Amino acid sequence: MYGKKVKFRALFIFLILISIILSIFLVTKSLEENVVYFKSPTDIKNFTEVKNTEKIRVGGMVKKNSIKINDKEIFFIITDFKNELLVNFTGSVPNLFEEGKGVVAEGILKDKSFLNADKILAKHDENYMPPEVSEALKNN
Amino acid sequence: MSNYFGNYSLYIALIASIYLIIKSYIDTNINIKNLNKNLVLITSVQTVMIIISFISLVVAFIISDFSNETVFNNSHTLKPLFYKISGSWGNHEGSLLLWLLVLSVFLYIFLLKSSSQNIKYRLLTLLFQQIIISGFLIFILLTSNPFNTVFPIPSEGLGLNPILQDPALAIHPPILYFGYVGTSIIFSTSLAAVVAGNIGDSWAKHIKSWVLVSWIFLTIGILLGSIWAYYELGWGGFWFWDPVENVSLMPWFCLTALLHTVIVLEKRNLFKEWTIILSITTFSLSMSGTFLVRSGILNSIHTFANDPSRGIFILSFLFVLVIMSVTIFFFNQKKLTSTIKNSFIISKETAILVNNWFMMFFLSVVLVGTIYPIFLEVLNGSKISVGPPFYHNLLIPFLIPFLVFMSFGPSLKWIKDKLKKFEYNLLIIFLASILISYFILINTEKKFLLSVPLIILSFYLLLVTINDFFNKKSSLSQKISHFGFSLLITSILLNGLFSNEFNANMKVGEERKFNDKVIKLNSVNVRDIDNYKSLKANFEIKNQNSFIQLSPEVRIYQQPFTITSEADIKTTLFSDNFLVFNILKDDGYYNVRYQYKPVMIWIWISTILISIGGLLSLIKKNEKKY
Amino acid sequence: MKKNIKFISLLLSLIIVFIILLKGLNVSKDYSNEKLNSKIDFSFKVKKLFNDEVINIEDLFNQEDLSVVNIWASWCVPCKDEHPNLMQLKDMNIKVVGINYKDNPKNAKNFLNLLGNPYSEIITDKDGTKSIEFGAIGVPETIVINGKTKSIIKKFIGPLSNENIIEIKSLINEKT
Repeated sequence: MYGKKVKFRALFIFLILISIILSIFLVTKSLEENVVYFKSPTDIKNFTEVKNTEKIRVGGMVKKNSIKINDKEIFFIITDFKNELLVNFTGSVPNLFEEGKGVVAEGILKDKSFLNADKILAKHDENYMPPEVSEALKNN
Repeated sequence: MSNYFGNYSLYIALIASIYLIIKSYIDTNINIKNLNKNLVLITSVQTVMIIISFISLVVAFIISDFSNETVFNNSHTLKPLFYKISGSWGNHEGSLLLWLLVLSVFLYIFLLKSSSQNIKYRLLTLLFQQIIISGFLIFILLTSNPFNTVFPIPSEGLGLNPILQDPALAIHPPILYFGYVGTSIIFSTSLAAVVAGNIGDSWAKHIKSWVLVSWIFLTIGILLGSIWAYYELGWGGFWFWDPVENVSLMPWFCLTALLHTVIVLEKRNLFKEWTIILSITTFSLSMSGTFLVRSGILNSIHTFANDPSRGIFILSFLFVLVIMSVTIFFFNQKKLTSTIKNSFIISKETAILVNNWFMMFFLSVVLVGTIYPIFLEVLNGSKISVGPPFYHNLLIPFLIPFLVFMSFGPSLKWIKDKLKKFEYNLLIIFLASILISYFILINTEKKFLLSVPLIILSFYLLLVTINDFFNKKSSLSQKISHFGFSLLITSILLNGLFSNEFNANMKVGEERKFNDKVIKLNSVNVRDIDNYKSLKANFEIKNQNSFIQLSPEVRIYQQPFTITSEADIKTTLFSDNFLVFNILKDDGYYNVRYQYKPVMIWIWISTILISIGGLLSLIKKNEKKY
Repeated sequence: MKKNIKFISLLLSLIIVFIILLKGLNVSKDYSNEKLNSKIDFSFKVKKLFNDEVINIEDLFNQEDLSVVNIWASWCVPCKDEHPNLMQLKDMNIKVVGINYKDNPKNAKNFLNLLGNPYSEIITDKDGTKSIEFGAIGVPETIVINGKTKSIIKKFIGPLSNENIIEIKSLINEKT
């Protein structure tokens, strides 16, 4: 009888260990693939290479008089007052997406001056600036 | 006036708390037969004091007493009464006072309901719960006093943010807090039971109602949160894997695991250590929820007060509690060894362990996704965010084995069962679900590999849980909850698979084609209403056999300057039509987002069913007692 | 023995998590809409507190130099705390323009009579809209403005500390 119990327990511990190792492996792998880095236009200028498979977020201000609209897309320029990045975007914009206001765009970088965005992050109110944006502005 | 009442009753509550900690500690070390009447009396005094304090705050909000700093910052004379009242717990200070209120009310109910229990155990629960209460009292009085005064008295308040005026948002925090705070009782009683050494089946029976109560509130709280996100935020979805949402989901996974483990403890007197670990973890996660949300450490779209000293206090307090509980657990571990009983691999016990494994896996994924960005920023300064694909990639594949286990696990017997050789009705159900899935999937172009087994299995589980209603193996509450859960999974899958979205910039009078539909923007009417300017659009969506009109709105408030979009949503039993628009620069274009979302309403209904199952179980448990 | 090792390692890992989260708290998370580097529209008119005279806001600022603007109110408790520091600026001959935010003029005057007037000029902002032009989000707030480019070069949210005073002084000395 005792032997059976020990065997059961050993099997149990073995399974737990296997599953923990498996989950750690899967979680780290998925993290590597799905983490979105935040960059400012200046960071992008300093890139050595452009990976056009990886999503990134870019934060800064929408440049004055830079928004152009056609029936499918919105073009605008994100600036950190040092460098600029042209963004093209298809999708719905949040309230208070305006020239001269902070913005965070998420998408794939085509080259060092052009971002193909599929998401513009929402803000709750005018007093809120995505922390990433104020950080990016402060650093420059 | 109410400021003085509120403030001083908090001080009295703190004194009561200190007295109770000392007294209950002394009493645990001497042998007494009965609980000292004073202890119950003083706990009730403390509860009344905290209620007075909370009512004073609500009154200050109702009468717009701007000499109170919290009222001044968060209210306005023009706010509707309902939002004045809900505003009292919609802010940092008030929400903590509500936490405290629920903490002490729950403790009082516990003392009343536990009279049949071991005296040492009751004293220790009182002790641990009072430690938590005093921690919160000190926190409130030191860093977040809701009764700070402003002098001279301003004539008008600052809080008139229209986005926060929403009924779901007004009742969502208190419901969630009932769930969070309920776990504090589980935590205190577990520690008390560890020290008193009475962990076992009778304790499990007693604690189960608290687990159920917290679980029900947490489930409904999460539901209300996503309803708010869906109807008010207008992003066209119910779950965004936002850190603030994750923080409420994590204790839910843990509590669901605990809910199942407690049954094993009750029926078989097994898994003692594991139950305690789960109880401690659940409460720590609820506390971390408060910490993460209130300290502003998270990068979230829901931002709250951002005062580092508050964060440091909650963090330190959380760790003091965790380290205390870990220490107590380790030094009393001997009392926890289960009297080993025979259990076989194919049994309900194993099935519940498997359930726990899945819950812990889901929990770890969400935990990693939520705090990894914080860790990385501290360690190497890079700013990252973890998006929905991370969660989807990790959770969806594991749904397949999970659904398989859930289809047969609950019907296994205790101790030992045989895998049935063959059951004809299960085969029929399986074939039926393949058939249903075939008809559903044949019309879609999105045929990614995983969706086929997922849809088949979710329908299989759904039919199995329906089939279970006709046999007598398990309780009705379990059947309803499990049926609700499989319905939820099925609805989420169908919704995710068949939702489609159309984005464009349109001018008035324009028409666009989208799949088999034609979307037309008929008109935009501008009107001045009360304190905002309203732009109401009229869209029509046509295809061969249907015609829908939708009128979303954009509101422009001047004081404070805010623009909000009110989505228009037409709901039927089969699908939702969701349309929201936004103004762009003044050159005639409107930014339009149209979404077709199938079976949306079933996501809400199934979640309600899950909690009804819990509620039934709770009622039945109480009936047995009397 | 084995149990102790388990316990200690668990405790250590908890402490590490604690330290990391504590550090995470100190990583600055700024939620304000600072109009950093952005220009201020100086075309509006304002009313002075003491004699109700209406002037152009532009006239208040030195075109060639930096100006300091402080937003305050008599009902604002932290404003009282920073008041001595503002007096210190006055003693250093640094001119500070006060914006009296959503206040009762009588209370405001009493406040200054009681504690002293650190401002070279005070303008009123009954409805709070003027302060918004300066990108303010609350009281008290202090802004350093470059009069030539009409842009905000430095902003202090909350009461001024002694360090802030030194910073303002060095900013102004740098310029002149």
